[in-house]
Amino acid sequence: MAACSQFEPRDKRFYYRAFWNFALREDLAELDSEFNGVDFGHSNLYENLLLTGGTDVPAIEDRAREETLAFIASKPRLNPNEEAIAPTYMKLAWRAQNTFDEAHALHRATYDIVVSDEPDKDRAIRNVLAYYQESSYAITAKKLDHHRLDAFLYSRSFRNRFPLFNATIWAYHYLQVAVYDPLQAARDLETKKQAVRPILLTYRHYLDQPQTQWTFMPLTAELSPIFAARYPEIANIFDNLHMLHDNISDILASELVPTWEDKREEIYRILNTYYLATADATNPMIVTHAEHRH
Amino acid sequence: MRNVTLRTFRFFALMLLGLLPAPLLALDHDNLDPNRPIGMEDAYAIPKGEIGMEGGVRFNDRREGRTRVTFQPQIIYGAFDNAQIEIQGDLFTEPNSLVGASKSGDLHLGLLYNFNTETLALPAMALRVETDLPTGVNSRGVDTQVTGILTRSFGRLRAHLNAGYTVLGLPKGQERPGAYRAVAAVSYPLGYPDSFRDTLIASVYTRESDLRGQRNHTGVEVGIRHQLTSRLVVDAGLGTEFAGPADRAAVLGTVGLSVGF
Repeated sequence: MAACSQFEPRDKRFYYRAFWNFALREDLAELDSEFNGVDFGHSNLYENLLLTGGTDVPAIEDRAREETLAFIASKPRLNPNEEAIAPTYMKLAWRAQNTFDEAHALHRATYDIVVSDEPDKDRAIRNVLAYYQESSYAITAKKLDHHRLDAFLYSRSFRNRFPLFNATIWAYHYLQVAVYDPLQAARDLETKKQAVRPILLTYRHYLDQPQTQWTFMPLTAELSPIFAARYPEIANIFDNLHMLHDNISDILASELVPTWEDKREEIYRILNTYYLATADATNPMIVTHAEHRH
Repeated sequence: MRNVTLRTFRFFALMLLGLLPAPLLALDHDNLDPNRPIGMEDAYAIPKGEIGMEGGVRFNDRREGRTRVTFQPQIIYGAFDNAQIEIQGDLFTEPNSLVGASKSGDLHLGLLYNFNTETLALPAMALRVETDLPTGVNSRGVDTQVTGILTRSFGRLRAHLNAGYTVLGLPKGQERPGAYRAVAAVSYPLGYPDSFRDTLIASVYTRESDLRGQRNHTGVEVGIRHQLTSRLVVDAGLGTEFAGPADRAAVLGTVGLSVGF
């Protein structure tokens, strides 16, 4: 019966094919390699949380975090094979991973467009958003109440026990959303390179000295307000994606969700109920009023 | 505008050469396809919407008879969810001496369907259905093949089982009307946690001989797939058959590449 309940499709989908696909890696390799490092960090964290039961502080704060920092420092030219990094986690919660993969592809597509010499960037961004939203794995583009999503019984387990790695994760999220406005404002490639340099310096500072005093994850509207105002749906998707990352870290770290089967069930419950766009009609976490706290 | 035109031109030029440098999530060296570089595959199809062009050169230095060389061009398309369709047309040296299902120039059509992703309780499972149309040299009848595929991982080591049966449409002379084939293989990503560009693959296989009254071809192969860019994978493999007919392979070798876009 357990085996039958775990029968699930793989459903990998190719990225949106366009001429600008290569712009970030071709033209702004310094930033691209940082994102490749970020891909390693999430998967490495989940695998180590799962295998250590979420209680071994040195295994996460020292060993896994150091592995991640070492990989980031290697400036990888290609994104890593995440199934080789986290083989156990992928088997536990593939549906959640595929959700991440598609949202990360949206992230990458928007960077490529912004960096490229595509003449109609606005149309291109709206096209990739439409392609993303065709997927049954698309995260909702509605604004979610992140504070309520951070108030489950197990919430904050991860950040309370592993503040250094949590601050490292939030540093990734800072980098992922902070680059949009400077990249969009810069007129040519050389200016774009100059524009992201201070952000990269800040990001590396955050990796060296994790900002454990932060109380909430970085949000797109705070770090790239122009991008968020122009593309509120995409900003919501990215913020929701990053909140989902935090929820899953908490589930994997918490003793309140004790077994692997329990963790899988809870990950899929929040994914299906609160995060996927397919739940929009019934999602109680969608913010319907003007006041949204952050 | 000129930059867009130049980028467009460069896109097509590099795509044709297989040298396009790397969008994300493109061709995956860890997604194993048959003959790239050895005769096994995993249970996963390429992503929906992806197009792959694969090609290789395989030599078979036989214990009796001349060395046979095969050119293996192939197009793969992720046509549906969890399914890929394939078009292939192998070209052999000495095409008039071939026996069995594979003839030089046959049009080979295939469909691989993956039923599920691997979970903690279940291996990944897939079914492959193929047909060879008699478009090649000395080819008669439509040959069909069905293969079941399982993939199960143990940590980073992945184990694969392939079991298939081929039915010849119009066997000639001593040719078997049908033949089974079984492969057990493992694959392992090299370089973790510093590098994710190489996958090592090893297999042991047995298959019924093409002619009646002969022993099974039984051998081992080992290969490596290297991710050169996100969309370009190169591969190389070596093998030998330690049991089988007198003309079985002394050394098998393959080099190839795959481009995804």
